Amino acid sequence: MNVSVESTLPADPVAADALIGIPRQQTNASRWQGEQWADFVQALQQQDVEIRQQCADTGIYLTDAGGLAHGMPHGVVVAASAGQIAALMQAAQRFAVPVTVRGGGLTTEGESVAFGGVLLDMTGMSRVLHVDKSGLIVRTQAGIFWHHLAEVLRRDDLDYISAPLNLSSSVGGTLGVGGIDVNSARYGCSADQAVSLQVVTPTGEIVECSDRENSELFERIILGYGQFGIITEASLHIRPYTPLRMHYFYYASLQPCVEDLLMLDASHACDYTGILTMMDTAITLLVAFDSDQREAEFMATVKAQLRGYGEWGFGLRLAAGFIWRPWRWREALFLLRRKRELFPDLQPDMHMHDGKMYDRTVVFSRAVWKHWGDRHMVIPDLATNRDKFVEAVERGNAVCRKYFPCYTLYCVGIRLRDEHKAHYELSSIPPDAEGWAYGCEFEPMYNGVAYSRDYLQSFKNEIYDVGVELETSYYRFGGMMKGYIRRALGDAVVEKHLQLKQQADPAMVLNRDVIF
Amino acid sequence: MRSVDVVIVGASLAAAAAAKRLVDAGLETVIVEKQLLPRHKICSGILSPRGHRFLLENFGALPRKVLHEPTACRGVTFHFPSMVSMSMDFFGGTTPHLHRKHADHWAIEQSGAEVMDDTSFLGQVQCDDHVVVSARKRGGETFELKARYLIGADGPVSPVLRSLYPDYHKQIPMFFVGQKFHEIIDCPLDEAYFHFWFHPDLGHYTWSHARDGRQIVGVGYKVGQKFHDRHLYVAKYFEEKHGVRLKPADDDHEGCSENFGPSLINRYVFGKGRVLITGQATGFLNMIGEGMSCALHSGAIAGESVVDAMLRNQPVQEIYRRNIASEVRRTTDQWNPLQIAFARPHEADFPKALAALPMADRIRVMRDIWSFLKLYKEFKWGRQIAGLSMQRLLRGDYSRKNWL
Repeated sequence: MNVSVESTLPADPVAADALIGIPRQQTNASRWQGEQWADFVQALQQQDVEIRQQCADTGIYLTDAGGLAHGMPHGVVVAASAGQIAALMQAAQRFAVPVTVRGGGLTTEGESVAFGGVLLDMTGMSRVLHVDKSGLIVRTQAGIFWHHLAEVLRRDDLDYISAPLNLSSSVGGTLGVGGIDVNSARYGCSADQAVSLQVVTPTGEIVECSDRENSELFERIILGYGQFGIITEASLHIRPYTPLRMHYFYYASLQPCVEDLLMLDASHACDYTGILTMMDTAITLLVAFDSDQREAEFMATVKAQLRGYGEWGFGLRLAAGFIWRPWRWREALFLLRRKRELFPDLQPDMHMHDGKMYDRTVVFSRAVWKHWGDRHMVIPDLATNRDKFVEAVERGNAVCRKYFPCYTLYCVGIRLRDEHKAHYELSSIPPDAEGWAYGCEFEPMYNGVAYSRDYLQSFKNEIYDVGVELETSYYRFGGMMKGYIRRALGDAVVEKHLQLKQQADPAMVLNRDVIF
Repeated sequence: MRSVDVVIVGASLAAAAAAKRLVDAGLETVIVEKQLLPRHKICSGILSPRGHRFLLENFGALPRKVLHEPTACRGVTFHFPSMVSMSMDFFGGTTPHLHRKHADHWAIEQSGAEVMDDTSFLGQVQCDDHVVVSARKRGGETFELKARYLIGADGPVSPVLRSLYPDYHKQIPMFFVGQKFHEIIDCPLDEAYFHFWFHPDLGHYTWSHARDGRQIVGVGYKVGQKFHDRHLYVAKYFEEKHGVRLKPADDDHEGCSENFGPSLINRYVFGKGRVLITGQATGFLNMIGEGMSCALHSGAIAGESVVDAMLRNQPVQEIYRRNIASEVRRTTDQWNPLQIAFARPHEADFPKALAALPMADRIRVMRDIWSFLKLYKEFKWGRQIAGLSMQRLLRGDYSRKNWL
C-alpha cells in the first residue's frame, strides 16, 4: 500500500483545524523541469511523431479560458491519429514526461495548461467519420468542436442531443467532464449521450470501449477528467433536428424562480429549462420546446402555476419600484443597457422564423462569448441535490455581490440516469442527488474593470467554500478544482480512483495535477 | 553578458511568489539575494490565514521545519491602557507561525527559479527592450545580467527602489521595530494568540508572543530613539500590569527598518518602465503589521503582470498597476475607518469583539484607541485617510494618482 501512503494528505503541522473549510492541497503544481526531454524527443522523432518546440508554437497554449494559470509546454504534438497518440504515450511512460491533453482549451483552472512536458492538441483530429441516420448515432473524432459537429449533422437534418452552451469546446473534452446544456434536465449531461469510445490508454494501447465492451474502462473514461485515457473517437446518440420555441418569464427574486425551475423539471413539461440573471432582482427563467404540441400542452397546463411575469408586466413592476428610489437608478440604467444589448443577440432576426429559433448552436455560442466571460472565464459553480439548491444559489449570490458590482447566475438541472450511476462516481455530481442534480454557475461581468488573477481566485475559493459548508460539490464544466475533490467526494472514493490511476498510468504522466 | 527573462532582487516570500508565476509560465528567472541562503530574517512570523492559503495552494504542504513552536496562532489579542483585553480569532482558522529563515528558503526552492545568493544588487540601467542589472558575488567581480524585466522584492529599504527614486526613503517616515527574546519565568499571556498593545507610552507598535519556549517582547517606534531603553520600559510595563515575569533578554536581539505609512495613505510605489517593485518595498502592510500575505499576493501579481506583458506585448507598468488595484483595495481598506466599521476588511472581527464588551469597556477602548492614534498625529495622515475613505465610498476604488 505504499503508493497510497504517498497520496494521502500530509499531516498538517500548523494545526488540525487550520483554514476551516479549506482542504490542504497544492493547486498550482510545480513546473516539470525537463528531465530526459532530449531522449524523449529523439525517441518520438524515430517514430516520425512531429513535436514542435519553437516558442511560437508552444506560446499559443500559454493559458486556458480561465486565464488564471499560465504554463509553457516543452513541446506540442498536434493529434493526427490514434496510432500517433499511442506512440506518444508509450514514449511518455518510458521517459516519464507529462502529457497534457487539450481540446478547445476551455478549462478554467488550468487543467488544459501544460506546466512543462508535452501538450497534445486534439483539434488535429476533427472529422466526422460516419453518420448512422436510421440508428441515430454519429461516429466522430474527438477533437471536433460541437458547433462543427452540429453543422455536419444539420446537412442530414439531425442534431446532437446536448452540448455545452460554449460550443468551441471539443467532444472529447466534454465527455471527460460532463457538459451541461439547457436540456440536461430532460436528457442528462453530454457525457450521457456517449455510446462507445475509442481510447488511447496512458500506456499507449488503442482500446474500444462501451457499456458492453471494456465497460470498466468506459466507466472511468466518461466523466473521468482525462485521467484514464485519451478519447480519440466517440460514437454519440443524436436526434432529428427541431427548431426551438422559446419563452421567458421574469422574476424579482431568486427563491421563487429557483423553486419554479425545480417544479418545471419535476413536471417534465418542458424540453429546455434554465435560469439566467441580469441582476439578482431581475431574473429570467427560460423555457423552450421541441414541438408545437409540447408547447401547447405547457401553455394549457403548467404555465399558470409559474410565478414569473411577462416582459411588459415585469418592466412595469420594475419601473414602479425604481421610481421612488433615485439611489437605485444606476441599477435601472444597467438593466436597460443590458436588455438593449443582450436581448437582440438571444433572438437574432437572422435565426428566428415564425417565433422559432433555428441554429441554437450559433445563437448561444455567440452570445456566450459576446456577453459573458472576458479574458478570464471565471465561472465557479455549485452542484447540489434539489433540497439544498435554493440555499446554495442564495449564498453564492451573496459572495458574488461582495466581489463584483455585476454578475450573472446560470442555473440548470441535470437529469441523472440510473443506468449511468457508475459513470458518475468520480464526477462532481453530488452523491446524495436523486433524480436530478442542480448546478449554478456564478459568473462576474467585468465591464472593463481589470481584476487580478489573485482577486478572481479569492472569489472562486469563497464560492467553493460555500460548497464545502453545504457538503455538496461543483459541477465544473472544466473539471473540478483539485483542492476540493477530497472534500466533495471523500477520501475513500478519491483513494480508490487514485489507485486505479496508478495501475493504468504507472508513471503518472497523463493530465497530472488535474485532480490527483 | 548572460540574457534572461526576469531578474528578481531579494529572496523573500514576495520573490518566491513572483518567481513561481514566472517559472510556471516557462520564463527563465534568476533570483539575486544579498545573503547566503537560508538566511536569517527578523519577523514575528505570524502569517495571516489568507497568506497561509496562498502558501498551501502554490507551494504545497508546509514542512515542519518552516515553523516555530507554537506552530500555530489562533488570532490576535488587543490590550489597552485601561486594562481591557480583547481576543479575536482569525476567520480562516489557525495560521502558521513561520520560521522565516526556513520558510522563505523553502518557498524559493519550491518556485523552481535559479538562485544567485551571496550576491548584491548594485544597480540597473533601463534600455528600450531590456534592463541591464549589475550585481556582485561576495568577494568576486561585478557582473551584468541582461533581463527583459527586473522585479525588486527586496524589502522596506529596497535598493532597487532606491536605484529608481534615490530620495524616496527620505520622503516617508521610517520606523524601527526590534524584538528581544526572554526565557519565561511566568507568562499569563495566552500563547495561542498574537498580543498587541494600543498604548501611546509604549510606542507605535508593541507586541508579544511565544516562540520556541521563549517570549518575544517587541517594540516599534520612529527611527532615532533608543531600542534598549524602549524595550526595557515595555518589559517592565508587561511585568507590572500583566504579571509577565521574564528573565533578562538573551543576546540574540534583532531589529530592522519599516516603511509603515504608505498603506494608510495610498502612497504605494510600483516602479518605473521595466522595473517593478513588489512586496513590502511597495509599502504594503496589514493593520496588524503583517506584511507577508500582502507580499505573497503582490509578488504573484507582479509575476502575472510580467507574463501578461510579454504575452500581449503591452507596457508592463500599465498591466501591473491595473492588476495590483485589488491588492491595494484589500490592504488600504484595513486602514479605512468606514470599511472597518461596516465591511469587515480584516481577518478577525474587531467590531464584533467590541460589541461583546460591556458598554463601559467599549467606551474605554474607544477612548484608548483615540489617545493611541494621537501618537501618529505628527505625520498628518488623518485628513488623507478621511479623504481616502470618502473616495472609496463614492468611487468604489482608491485613486491611482498617488502611486509612484
